[in-house]
Amino acid sequence: MIESPQTSKEIVDLGVKSAVPELCVPVKIYVGHFLYLLQSGVDYVYVPRLISIRKGDTFCPKFLGLPDMLSHQFPEYADKILTHQVNSREENIGTLQNYLSIGRIITQNTQKIRQAIKSANKKWIEFRNLCLDGYNCREAENKVFRGVSPKPSSHDIKIGVIGYVYNVYDNYISMDIINKLNKMGTDAVTFEMVSLSDTEKQLSEKLRKDIFWTFSNKIFAAGYHFFEDPSIDGVIHLTAFGCGPDSFLGKVLDLDSDDFKKPFMTVRIDEHTGESHLVTRIEAFVDMIRRRKFKTSDSAEVGK
Amino acid sequence: MKITFPYMGTVVIYKKLLELLGHEAICPPRPTRKTIDLGVKHSPEFACFPYKAIMGSYLQAIELGADAIITSGGFGPCRAGYYGEVHKKTLGKLGHNIDIMILESYKRNFKYFWRIVKKLKGKNSWRKVIQVFFTVYELAHTLDALEKIVQVRRAYETEKGSFSRAWQKVNERFDKEVKTKKDIHRIYKESKEYLESIPYKEKPENEKIRLGIVGEIYVVMESSINLNIEEVLNGLGCEVERNLYLSEWIDDNIMPKMFARTSMQEKILNLSREYMEVRIGGHENETIGHIIDYKKRGFDGIIHIMPFACLPELISQSIIPKVSKDYDIPIYTISIDEQTAIANHITRIEAFIELIKGRKGTQALS
Repeated sequence: MIESPQTSKEIVDLGVKSAVPELCVPVKIYVGHFLYLLQSGVDYVYVPRLISIRKGDTFCPKFLGLPDMLSHQFPEYADKILTHQVNSREENIGTLQNYLSIGRIITQNTQKIRQAIKSANKKWIEFRNLCLDGYNCREAENKVFRGVSPKPSSHDIKIGVIGYVYNVYDNYISMDIINKLNKMGTDAVTFEMVSLSDTEKQLSEKLRKDIFWTFSNKIFAAGYHFFEDPSIDGVIHLTAFGCGPDSFLGKVLDLDSDDFKKPFMTVRIDEHTGESHLVTRIEAFVDMIRRRKFKTSDSAEVGK
Repeated sequence: MKITFPYMGTVVIYKKLLELLGHEAICPPRPTRKTIDLGVKHSPEFACFPYKAIMGSYLQAIELGADAIITSGGFGPCRAGYYGEVHKKTLGKLGHNIDIMILESYKRNFKYFWRIVKKLKGKNSWRKVIQVFFTVYELAHTLDALEKIVQVRRAYETEKGSFSRAWQKVNERFDKEVKTKKDIHRIYKESKEYLESIPYKEKPENEKIRLGIVGEIYVVMESSINLNIEEVLNGLGCEVERNLYLSEWIDDNIMPKMFARTSMQEKILNLSREYMEVRIGGHENETIGHIIDYKKRGFDGIIHIMPFACLPELISQSIIPKVSKDYDIPIYTISIDEQTAIANHITRIEAFIELIKGRKGTQALS
């Protein structure tokens, strides 16, 4: 198994050159990774068709059509795409039904497939529990697979970062926003740390009807959860240029952040965004929050 | 209750539905630059274009005194199903306390669906409601049948603009005179004669160019949004057909199967299966299916219209080059947003048609 490396300028350029221009940045980058892997001479590229991980929801249309898009856009690579449908009613997608078709390509032994799924499930549950304990995806991944635990960090300011995993943890898209926030003396809280029951609670309270995209639902619920959580001082919405679901979700969150009196900032990023401008904006946001927090606690003391 | 609705295609139909049920219908003005500017101002920057245009329509209708909106919803996975919710929130923040009724499948939230049906029903008896529904259904089919005549003959009109003017008149007549099914049949007959009496000069069969228009429902159906594409193509001497007509949409999405007169959807979706494994929302699968269908029916080219950054249509845009190659049919994609201007597209469309003419010429020679 060969994994494609962290997104680099080279990979982005590969994707931007061959994808349809109007696509959102993460999908362009996906195309870049896809082509990069093929150029490094692999036999198959794993392109799952993610359909659903919650009853009634689906993924964004771009996920649903991803294998179709790649196989028709690059007919020369069509037979190198290894795909299967992920269609589940819960977050844990490790079921035989999902993986049987793809497992069969690699081995005829169903027992082996079962075992692989079982050990993957164990890792997944470990990973998910770490997330709920406040580890972000990358820290949890390091702990589960490499046994590295991060230094416990505690800063005086907590900022909620909402954004899709493929944006927040892609260093190229997010410009490593989590680390930047940490360096500025703040804790970043992300959506995977919000428990499933909190997510469902927010969704049933705030929406007449759920948004139909799984990740958008999660982010939306996390956004409200952060708005209501008094320990969180501000929320940053990280979104990529051309993201369809975010255009609505961001608007609704933006409108409602006023009601909760929570600072809210949208950071929209594309393949041309410069790093310094992002840093300046985040710094200003953090400074503003710090001043606000400091001032309120100050005046409270005066009040005593 | 003064009810308004999004402006899309032959609006007479929605207006009649509301009026026959005894509501006061407020038809928003046909979208213009002003509508779009108004909509863009109050919409998220990256919302898809129909959302913005419809937002503008709502605001104009509110100015005209509307206090309720009826629109369609859906359960995605395309964004259109969520328009209503975001519109409602935005209008609320703008200080318009307006009732948005979203008609959508009863399967997810029956209580909400029922409340809306009750509101629309008002004091009418159920018998009356069903009667009205079938009258409007008839109207949709009638208007679409007439429009299809216009879409073909307008390509060969001897006096420029005569068919468009006539079509306008026909729409106005239906708007003013229709009360019952009988009126529809009477006006249909007269309008058909009227449209057929307009002089036109047909071309020999081998010089005719037939173009299919495919794409997302709003930009395909609403001429004020799609650069008047049908008229433009007709003006260049091509016959056109759309992949979506309101009557067919009703047949496929609302009508129970046993009553539906046309049933295209299944056939079209089957055709698209060659390229797409699952349905991914919007009119994506229909777009691909219809392209293949048009080719099989001997059309010469396809115009594909989509709103800028439309999620499902982007996937079709990625697939289209392959379809075009496999089926040997020229396809031209136009993506529409508030910045789109007609002049540059006319030049391209002209070139596209020249290409088709050239192809036909060489095909005839060989």
